[in-house]
Amino acid sequence: MDSFTAITLAVFLPFILAGILPAIEKLLKDKIGWYASAIAFLSLLLIAQAAPEIIHGKTIQSSIEWLPSMGINLSFYADGLSVMFGFIVSGIGVIIMSYSNGYMSKKEDLPRYYQQLLFFMGSMLGMVFSANTIQLFIFWELTSITSFMLIGYWRNRPMSVYGATKSLLITAAGGLFMLAGFLVLHAITGTYDIPTILHSESMREMILGHELFIVALILILIGAASKSAQGPFYIWLPNAMEAPTPVSAFLHSATMVKAGIYLVARIHPIFSGTEAWFILVSGVGIFTMLLAGFLAFRQTDIKGILAYSTISQLAYLMTMYGYTTHHEPGIGVAAATFHLLNHATFKACLFLVAGIVAHEAATRDITKMGGLHKEMPITFIVASIGALSMAGIPPLNGFLSKEMFYESSVEMGALLGSPYNILIPALAVLGGVFTFAYSIKLIDGIFLGKRPSKGLPKHIHEPPIIMLAPAMFLAGLIILFGLVPSLPVHNFIDPAVSGILLEETHLHVKLWHGFTIPLIMTIITFALGILTYTQYTKIAEWQNRFNARYPWISVNYYYDAAVDNARNVTSKFSNRMQPGPLKTYVLALLLLTIAMFAIPAILLASSLIPGNLNFDIPPYESIIFLFMVVLALGAAFLPRYLPAIISLSGLGYLVALLFIYLQAPDLALTQILVETLSTIIFLLAIAKIPQKFKEHIPRKTLVRDLLISVTVASMIFIMLINATQGIVPPFESLSHYFIEKSLPLAGGHNIVNVIIVDFRGYDTLGEIAVLCLAAFGVYNLINSRGDDQ
Amino acid sequence: MTTLITKTVAKICLPLVILFSISLLLAGHNNPGGGFIGGVMFASVIALTYVAYGLDYIKSFFDPDWSNWFGFGLLLASVTGFAAIAFSHNFLRSAVEFVHLPFFGEVELVSAALFDIGVYFVVIGGLLSIFKNVGDDK
Repeated sequence: MDSFTAITLAVFLPFILAGILPAIEKLLKDKIGWYASAIAFLSLLLIAQAAPEIIHGKTIQSSIEWLPSMGINLSFYADGLSVMFGFIVSGIGVIIMSYSNGYMSKKEDLPRYYQQLLFFMGSMLGMVFSANTIQLFIFWELTSITSFMLIGYWRNRPMSVYGATKSLLITAAGGLFMLAGFLVLHAITGTYDIPTILHSESMREMILGHELFIVALILILIGAASKSAQGPFYIWLPNAMEAPTPVSAFLHSATMVKAGIYLVARIHPIFSGTEAWFILVSGVGIFTMLLAGFLAFRQTDIKGILAYSTISQLAYLMTMYGYTTHHEPGIGVAAATFHLLNHATFKACLFLVAGIVAHEAATRDITKMGGLHKEMPITFIVASIGALSMAGIPPLNGFLSKEMFYESSVEMGALLGSPYNILIPALAVLGGVFTFAYSIKLIDGIFLGKRPSKGLPKHIHEPPIIMLAPAMFLAGLIILFGLVPSLPVHNFIDPAVSGILLEETHLHVKLWHGFTIPLIMTIITFALGILTYTQYTKIAEWQNRFNARYPWISVNYYYDAAVDNARNVTSKFSNRMQPGPLKTYVLALLLLTIAMFAIPAILLASSLIPGNLNFDIPPYESIIFLFMVVLALGAAFLPRYLPAIISLSGLGYLVALLFIYLQAPDLALTQILVETLSTIIFLLAIAKIPQKFKEHIPRKTLVRDLLISVTVASMIFIMLINATQGIVPPFESLSHYFIEKSLPLAGGHNIVNVIIVDFRGYDTLGEIAVLCLAAFGVYNLINSRGDDQ
Repeated sequence: MTTLITKTVAKICLPLVILFSISLLLAGHNNPGGGFIGGVMFASVIALTYVAYGLDYIKSFFDPDWSNWFGFGLLLASVTGFAAIAFSHNFLRSAVEFVHLPFFGEVELVSAALFDIGVYFVVIGGLLSIFKNVGDDK
């Protein structure tokens, strides 16, 4: 199998195999989770199949035609960066879905859960391997949608619904900004193809020099920031913690939230090396890193702490990718890429531990916990490895990448000169101090310390091995990457960094690299971190007081106000637009028709009614018309429903008769049938309502309605005369084409039918789909109304 | 509505109309008819029976889930479209074949007929599921 096929399959197999998951569920019952993890493993193998070539410096690109006329194809591009992401997504996917077998109760709706997880995984893989911006956007929004569904997995919990809506509003809207950015990029370069832009020096220079450069950059970065919960957009991530914990571990720490980081890395070669890049990316990054790290203190929910820590860690990555100068565009790229991988391991590990603790202790409130290391010694060790790695303790992998973070901060500061040579490293250390403090809090608060007298169940024990093993595996990776850094660096980081910087790079990461400035910074971090930890509770209390006193200093405050307002305004609007009675809608439609017709009618007033009309109507048609008029009047004026309906159906049948005279048998047949069916429905309806028109219509309304009807009718009259008597410039009739081609092209004598099923088959397919949807709509309308009563 | 007249009419109509609707469906490619017309005809006569005998009475011995019908129809129509892709033509491209069968003589087999059968089922299923849902509504 060639690499392109492998990548394509890795993306699409999860979708296809998830599609048949409900059928497999009938066989496997509650073991269905293993089927899902097997699919994830299959994707992992497929990516691994394509990986060796890429690790040796090649890139894969190929495409299948999709919308060739618009320059949009289904195309995949695999370089070191996308392969590293591919490994993270599918690898963590295997771990999470195996873990879910223990975490998710057998009573839950498992097929829906695993199906959405797999859809997410496929979308995410599709996103990282996308070679063109439109395709990237589609997969990007698919990850937002699947994330929305997974956050809202417990549909009847109001907080789940709130969190899901919030994440969708923010990330999907951000995606639209990103799309706008891609369109600007297309306007500059004339292509949607990412590798084309990446590998063309002249195109990149053209973008840098273009006046729309800053517009494209800002729009795309809004997309990245909203997805990765950066800057003011961070607010959705803490609420996303309402999702089941494996989902949080997978989507909201290890993979989906890194989509924004991926985007930043992907466009790094295009936009970096400019001041705007540094200010926007690093600026937002540093701000978010400090804010989120600080805000983590007042969280009492374990997952809340982890959410803020994720935001802060993602901000590290942003900051590092933002370090750039004109001569050295990628100062922090290697550090960021390494930290990205490390963060995926230790944060997923911590989330899995949070799930275990919540599962066993039946609460996630850290204030109720303490001293759990006695009952859960293995979980305690695993959690400590994860948290200490996050805190940056040697010899774990988090230590290595944080050293690199400090190193790149020092380098960036030095290049900018005073006062930045002090400021940037100082801010980096401050970020590290916060991280250290809340990491220690996780260990101390849950596993050490004194346990409050109540709040926890009496018997707490280690979780089943299904849940423990994935977390232990990740903890093993943390130690392995820490002790043998050349392993991940050689296989993942070097190719990925080469993919971003577009040149071959070889990093040398060692555990002990001498007594350097970063090491001193680490020691300062630990010292200050311990100091901060002693004040942890005080800081948290101060934050709570501050929040209670100034509720308006918070992004959430404005988000909630905006959403509430939007809800009020739209409900007022729709109440006004849709008051209920059908009559109002018909009235609005007719008035609109009059308005649409009135404009050309006034403009063409002189020639509106042609002088020489041909009123040569055969006598039998005149008789039919006469009957039609009588029946129409009957339908309007008869005082009871039954005679009125009979009049109306009679009118319909006469129209059918007219069609027969005009030699249109198909039309006549259809008319008769539809008339019959609607008569039956009418009859059914009147059986349930009073037999007399009781409604008293005021004279004013009557006059108004009469006026409107007469106007519309005369309009139609004028329009038909103009259309049929050749006043409107004649168009070439289409029927000749169909009459000629029907038999040779489609083998049918009945042109009407051939048009329906063959020439315009696509339309028909759309129409029958609409009919199906209408049937579903009616079903839902009737059944959902039943619930209220 | 459950009068003797409607009941008798419905009873006589039912088999005739169903047969006629099938013949309309199959004849559609060369003579007046087709999936849509045939489907509406089928749906009308079932609806008439529902009205004549009362929904509850009919449901006690004949109660198909009409939503399966339109699901099947839509699937059939889409599969016909995708089958064309499998033979590396454009979506929904139809194929015509003339074969000689004993008794029937020369018979025209056209893939568009399958599509039309899909339309037929969607129309029946869609109309009747709406009809039944509304009728069931208390």
